[in-house]
Amino acid sequence: MNIIVISTIAMGGLGLFFSVILAISNRKLYVKEDPRIEHVLEALPGANCGACGNASCHDLAQKIVKGEAEANDCPVGGSEVAENIANILGIESKEVITKIAIVHCGASEEIRKKKALYIGGQTCKVADIVGGEIACSYGCFGYGDCVDVCLFDAIEMEEGLPVVDLVKCTGCGQCVVACPRNIISLELFDKTKLTATITIACNNPDKGAVVRKICEVGCIGCNLCERNCGDGSFYMDEMLAKIDYSKVYNCEHWDVVMEKCPTNTIKRLVKEEKVLV
Amino acid sequence: MNIILIFIAATIVNNIVLTYFLGICPFLGVSSKIESAVGMGLAATFVMTLAATVTWLIYHNILVRFNVPFLEYVSFILVIASLVQIVEMFIRKFSPDLYRALGIYLPLITTNCAILGLTLFMVLREYNFLESIVFGFGSGVGFTLVLLIMAGIREELEFADVPEAFKGAPLTLIISGLLALAFMGFSGIISTS
Repeated sequence: MNIIVISTIAMGGLGLFFSVILAISNRKLYVKEDPRIEHVLEALPGANCGACGNASCHDLAQKIVKGEAEANDCPVGGSEVAENIANILGIESKEVITKIAIVHCGASEEIRKKKALYIGGQTCKVADIVGGEIACSYGCFGYGDCVDVCLFDAIEMEEGLPVVDLVKCTGCGQCVVACPRNIISLELFDKTKLTATITIACNNPDKGAVVRKICEVGCIGCNLCERNCGDGSFYMDEMLAKIDYSKVYNCEHWDVVMEKCPTNTIKRLVKEEKVLV
Repeated sequence: MNIILIFIAATIVNNIVLTYFLGICPFLGVSSKIESAVGMGLAATFVMTLAATVTWLIYHNILVRFNVPFLEYVSFILVIASLVQIVEMFIRKFSPDLYRALGIYLPLITTNCAILGLTLFMVLREYNFLESIVFGFGSGVGFTLVLLIMAGIREELEFADVPEAFKGAPLTLIISGLLALAFMGFSGIISTS
């Protein structure tokens, strides 16, 4: 027979054979996925940051559609994303609680005292395992693991300390996980009171005398802040002062408390008035 | 004896990635984590073995019998594409995490020159049926092996202080070259035609 005819029949036959096999396996191995999962996934930020507690945005989308998670579970997306998701699923939308990262160390490159010379891996993680060169065993190394891990470019190193951009920070919590010394914490945030966002810039719970020897801006646990503010916005945890962020935004005289701190440990996080876009 | 020689040759001596430089795309793309490297390697091994089997049957029973051996390129690609589709459906059903981890690289096994290359080698070297299966399987094992080695090295490198200009692809390519040099040490252990 003509060679062209043979080739056509051979290829056509093979094509048909494999099409049948593929059609059968498609039927047998079909994966049914609710189309809403795709829509919810599109509405989510897609950063796969893990702030919601799931491994990926796809996981959260699946759980939301199944009803195992809430539409406002994504702290990074905020209220806008929560509303979009609620619209897709046809349910009521709820408010999203905004949190941001707060840094609890004030010992910048000039202030921090060193106890050794460290020539090891220049990451906070490795330095913490070995011990590092900082005299304070709760203080910031300044190698910037938190900066490297931020998916939203919201954190920068200035003079050896991390500075969080309160506008860009989405509260995903990656920097909290990345810091081996737990210097960063996620706290409630009031957007309308930007200038009132303050922190106790110390992470060291040791006694005052010990802290004083290794850092001039460390918290000595004198309790003045708690005493000067009556409403419980400031409280002591061992010998370290802490702020209750659900109360401090309503405290009227936090600036007085800030002034009265003998070691200047309480710092404002925003220097001028900034308008949130 | 010949079967064992073919297997060892395909796995180590004439490794499909490091000696013939086939299959570089998934080699560079999926080798940053050990789990995805293993997944990719196993999927590719399965496709390679099955492809070698089916293409041998088609070549000798259809193409040669009807005197159209020049159709090997087209028909082999058809076979490989269908097999990859089936493997993709299979993985999607039974391991959605692996499916997402491999991402675009799973359908890219189709255009992976390693698979087409090994089927064409099989025809060129005139292996019989059993030899072809072993050759396909051996190539897959060699592919997985090299992928694993590269994934291990790259996972270790994550904590190393790499100069900015070399981070990522440049360093990986240099390491691949060094690995290829190392594997050259195996040449001459076995001589296959």
